[in-house]
Amino acid sequence: MKIKITMRGTLKKYMPGEEYRIVEVPDNCTCDEALQCIGMNYREIPRFGFVVRNGKRCFIYDRLEEGDELKAWSQVSGG
Amino acid sequence: MIMSAYQNKVLRIDCTKQETRTEPLNMEFAEKYVGSKGLAIRYMYEDMKPGIDPLGPENNLYLTTGPMTGTPIPCSGKLSVAAKSPATGTMNDCSIGGHAGIRLKFAGYDMVVFEGQMDKPTYIVIEDDKISFHDAADLWGKTSHEAEKALIEEYGTEFSCLSIGPAGENLNNISCINSDYYRQAGRGGIGAVMGSKKIKAILIKGTQGVKVPNIKETTDRILEIFHENCLSEDNEFVFDEGTYAFLEACNDGGILPAHNFSAATDVNWDKYNGAVMKKYRLGKRGCGSCGLGCGNFMKVGDAIVEGPEYETTAASGPQCDIVSIEHNVRFNQVVDDLGMDSISAGVTVAWAMEMAEKGIHDFGVHFGNEEEMINILYDMAYRRGEGAELADGVKVASEKWGGTDFAMHSKGLEFPQYEPRGSFGMAASYAVSDRGACHMRSYTANEEVFEASCPPYTHEGKGQVLYDLGEFNAIKFSCCLCDLWGTVDYAIMAELLTLITGKEWTEEDMSTVGRRVLNIGRAFNQREGFTREHDTVPERLFKDPLKGGPADGQVMTKEGFQDMLSQYYEIMGWDENGCLPQELIDTL
Repeated sequence: MKIKITMRGTLKKYMPGEEYRIVEVPDNCTCDEALQCIGMNYREIPRFGFVVRNGKRCFIYDRLEEGDELKAWSQVSGG
Repeated sequence: MIMSAYQNKVLRIDCTKQETRTEPLNMEFAEKYVGSKGLAIRYMYEDMKPGIDPLGPENNLYLTTGPMTGTPIPCSGKLSVAAKSPATGTMNDCSIGGHAGIRLKFAGYDMVVFEGQMDKPTYIVIEDDKISFHDAADLWGKTSHEAEKALIEEYGTEFSCLSIGPAGENLNNISCINSDYYRQAGRGGIGAVMGSKKIKAILIKGTQGVKVPNIKETTDRILEIFHENCLSEDNEFVFDEGTYAFLEACNDGGILPAHNFSAATDVNWDKYNGAVMKKYRLGKRGCGSCGLGCGNFMKVGDAIVEGPEYETTAASGPQCDIVSIEHNVRFNQVVDDLGMDSISAGVTVAWAMEMAEKGIHDFGVHFGNEEEMINILYDMAYRRGEGAELADGVKVASEKWGGTDFAMHSKGLEFPQYEPRGSFGMAASYAVSDRGACHMRSYTANEEVFEASCPPYTHEGKGQVLYDLGEFNAIKFSCCLCDLWGTVDYAIMAELLTLITGKEWTEEDMSTVGRRVLNIGRAFNQREGFTREHDTVPERLFKDPLKGGPADGQVMTKEGFQDMLSQYYEIMGWDENGCLPQELIDTL
């Protein structure tokens, strides 16, 4: 299935110059597995933040559907 | 011991007699509390009797620097402004950026204490060891920006100016102090304390420096830390968007409050986000000694501001159902000029809008109406008509008019812009904060949402999260470091303090001082009669399920909320009533 992936904060460096990327991922995959399809293992990113599915924060192990928009955030400090 | 990097001098200004005197800095306090926030609270505890009127002559106003102030340490240009709060009756310390802190340190002082009250409007000039009092009759009634402009034109840009607007003159509980036009000590009615002393403005110029034991070793290491840690990509967003970056993150995370904390998402967020802001941005600005430059200097129509920050944008936009970056900027300029805290002003107006929507009382402001919102700000500042009813914030207004369930404050200080039902720890954070609802104490949204390192919709384990974050910010702000240096840690703080003071500081010391600062703030409030029963949040959080966003439907339980308080008290060594035992007070 195809989904749209966006990077925010310092994670933008994983998709330099791209506002978003349409990615072919396994059906019913998790957010974690989808990110691994673009070579990103959140466990190895010290300041990885949270993931957002279709505009709503979700868990990294939540499953995706065809046409979903997945956004990954780095941590944002301060306020 | 005498430590380097301090000026070892406190200036006391007796406003009643218009006399000044200096005294050595209490070095025992400096060793225990470092500077800025912690030092100010300790002096307040020492100087002021419990039960005094916050707007009376016995309340002191403290401007406090720290050992890092005036050094090249990045993000160290903050100044603590503290007093007993007229809004909450608690201690209150604010942090103001710009250049006033550094100039005060260069004038030769660690701290200035304004005591007593003058009988007529006055402005005070501090120029090294020359202190002078001047008639401010012509300035009284002017807005904050008008007053600063007139004074800087007369004295020159080598001076920093702290000033109040009409809201401070009229002793409003939501009044602030401005500096460098666009920086504010915002919260708890600190402007009214200055107004009660009839001080329209304080001008500060200093020509001295700060002494450290080994200037080459110190500056070399500071530069290394600056490049390795502060100018890292993790802090890049500060320069790129500043706090605008939080709009999207908070919306995605389900904690961007809307419609007076009824909802926590705004489908229109991308119409006033960082990308839109950049279209209006003229340039970037930073405080003295800043390495990050968070300030977005913007011009929209006639309105020129450094900002609006995230808090101001959320309070004036989604909270009031207004989708317009032009409005956010205009709101920002008006509240700054009138000398009102943008968070408290926005939340108070949003509450008034809901009062009208529910048919309880019509203050003349309605959701979605920009002009009504701007107009009532003037009436609030000058205490005119319906605006007078809102001039002291939501606690005072709701106790008179009803609507307490959705008057969003703790201890009389309006909520910052992080929705607790999307981040349960924030509810307890607002409740136990020593100055009322504040996001600069324990910012649990970071762990619960931005890091996703603990679950957001539970009370379990939150006492420890509250404590860890509160301790960290307490020492960070006592070092006078800016919140936005997000990657600084205890090791760096201890190393920097060791370099500049000549005294060995450890990471454990940072933890100890942070805990002590939390305790002295609570001890001050305890002496004023505050206990567990005052650590509250509005009923809305327990009654009304949140609407929209990832936290849709979330509501908190009172049992869970009380459990978070109990967890925190136990970690702090306080009793079940939230009180410090005497043996703990004796260590402070």
